[in-house]
Amino acid sequence: MTVGPARARRRTGPLASEARWAWFFLAPTILGLVLLSAGPILATLAISLTSWDLLQAPRLVGLQNFVDLLGDDRFLHALRNTVFYTVTSVPLGLALALGLALALNRTIRGIAWIRTAYFLPVVTSTVAISLVWAWIYSPEQGILNQVLGLFGVPAQRWISDPFWAMPAIVVMAVWQGLGTNVIIFLAGLQAIPEEYYDAAQVDGAGRWGRFRHVTLPMLTPSIFFTGILSLIGSFQVFDQVYVLARPGRPTEATTTVVYFIYENGFRNFKMGYASAASWVLFMIVALLTALYFRSQSRWVHYG
Amino acid sequence: MTRSTARLGALRRVAGIAALPVILAFVAAGCGQAATTIEYSIWGDPAELASQQAIVDAFHEANPSITVKVTVSDWDTYWDKLQTGLAGGAAPDVFAMDGPLFPDFQSRGVLLDLKSYVEKDKYDLTQLADQGVKDFTTADGGQYGLPRDLNVIVLYYNKAMFDEAGVAYPDDTWDWAKLVEAAHKLTLDKDGDGTTDQWGLYTETTDMENYWSSLVWQNGGDIIAPDGKSTLLGSEEAVGGLQFLQDLIWKEKVVPEPALFAETGDAFEQGQAAMEANGSWLVPTLEAAGIELGIAPLPQGPAGRATSVNPTGAVVYKDSKNPDAAWLFVKYLASPAAQEKLMALKASLPVSKEVLAGPYAASFDGAQVFADSLAYAHLKPSFLGYNEFTAILQEELDTNVFNEPKKTARDAIDTVLAELNALLAGQ
Repeated sequence: MTVGPARARRRTGPLASEARWAWFFLAPTILGLVLLSAGPILATLAISLTSWDLLQAPRLVGLQNFVDLLGDDRFLHALRNTVFYTVTSVPLGLALALGLALALNRTIRGIAWIRTAYFLPVVTSTVAISLVWAWIYSPEQGILNQVLGLFGVPAQRWISDPFWAMPAIVVMAVWQGLGTNVIIFLAGLQAIPEEYYDAAQVDGAGRWGRFRHVTLPMLTPSIFFTGILSLIGSFQVFDQVYVLARPGRPTEATTTVVYFIYENGFRNFKMGYASAASWVLFMIVALLTALYFRSQSRWVHYG
Repeated sequence: MTRSTARLGALRRVAGIAALPVILAFVAAGCGQAATTIEYSIWGDPAELASQQAIVDAFHEANPSITVKVTVSDWDTYWDKLQTGLAGGAAPDVFAMDGPLFPDFQSRGVLLDLKSYVEKDKYDLTQLADQGVKDFTTADGGQYGLPRDLNVIVLYYNKAMFDEAGVAYPDDTWDWAKLVEAAHKLTLDKDGDGTTDQWGLYTETTDMENYWSSLVWQNGGDIIAPDGKSTLLGSEEAVGGLQFLQDLIWKEKVVPEPALFAETGDAFEQGQAAMEANGSWLVPTLEAAGIELGIAPLPQGPAGRATSVNPTGAVVYKDSKNPDAAWLFVKYLASPAAQEKLMALKASLPVSKEVLAGPYAASFDGAQVFADSLAYAHLKPSFLGYNEFTAILQEELDTNVFNEPKKTARDAIDTVLAELNALLAGQ
């Protein structure tokens, strides 16, 4: 029983002041999270149970919005397009970034400039990038069709053809997002101790063997991290669609869930409906994230 | 806006006596009236901001106690900001309103009825273009804003291309058959590589305003029932108008398919088309493009002459702290003095009849065509649920009728007719 008072006394010691400082430094983030994220998220849940046009008082409709969503072809298309975007852009983006990081992980002259070049699209506005890509994809004057034409490939309408529109957006988005993942992979690669490679070499491992048994396992924490960011980000894709999927483009093939939310909330005066859609999206992302975290123990190696 | 009153309040509270001279200065500037600042929001580009600023400055000169702060956004951002502002109770005092979207805002009770001001000032509404006034009038006689300017669709043509092909310039005798005939003569494969490098006609298919609504009317059809509760696009006449546009693109091949210029922009502006059916807002752009520009009325259809007119209005926020100043400003925007300044931009038609018939008609080559076209112009449809209606309709038309001829206009309209009618009936 003497343990209790002793512990209580320790709380006034240096650890207690450390804890206070910890809270002090955490406060801005926690406050921001509570006020700017948790608050609105809960408010959205309340709004999702109403019919609300933003301008007049909301009317409680229970779960009607969720029922309507399930029968709304446009929402189901948006969901299908978003899933397509995720299952193509995430693996493609990670594989390309890993390849690039391996290629850039060396000491040659000007490597810093090359790395910077790959990072540039990340810090460029999506609108500017989308406009440039719209030109690349242009059917007659666009450079893509001109280059493909040299090899006898017939011209495609990359953005206006419903079949190609979403792949065209995926390619652009993957290119734009490469830099972030490359940087994380590069950091991961440089954290792998040289001794491991030496040991593998002594054991007779070739290039592939070193990659397969040293680089890849040691890089799994980075892959896990970039994977989760890409996964969540891909479900929230909006900008690229917003700019490329302008009037006249095949909207059924390119509308994503976040675009659907935007359109209903801000164009169609259906904020309740839009909030319900955002909760469906939130639940999907939360579920996938949870599953992804649970898979961690099976393939991610720390240290 | 509440800005100046808030500022005064804050000064009194915080600075007390030190603020007195400032307050006195405010009062003096207003010649006994309290100084007022109102906020005026518009969509547009920098050129438009400059012209609106000139109008605002002139207003301030005439009403020294009222300062107008202009804010400009691009089209999409404008509506996002406006709706969040209205939801949060912090909307601009006066803001621009697109005719077709007016019912969606007015019906939700965020606009101020100016009827009492009109009556008190004995303001003569007949001095403004009738279509413009009508767009901001409600069935029960409310007047929720005044028109600020008008946009009309005409036929632009490139005189050099007509001269070269030996085709007479378009005039008011042209009909659909003549348009097709001339467009064929002007659609050329100059280098003989099998692809067209000069198109007879260019137009945009993604918004009814640019051309297809006019074609529907010229064929005797209509788009929305007068009560706004159903669509009339199912009629043979309406479908015929849409079919004519599909035929121009895919059968006659005198209009480029939309994908060709979707990313690169206006083919006519780039000198790759001999004619363009499009709106008055293009005049400054086309003049700057260095084209020998001609302006003619849209060719007549089987049911006669028709074009589209779309007014932009100035409306007042219902909870504006300065409704009197806002009304003064809205009234000023429609006055001949302001309308002449607006006219100089050439991007739209004035709403003041005095300016329309007088200085405007002579202000540039072709202005008379715009002014005359009001006589047979139909208002761009304005009804509850406009955005959602057009999104559903255009997706079907773009994908299956205009971008690719997957369906006839009849089949496409039949596909969405029930959905559109259900949407309108539910508003």
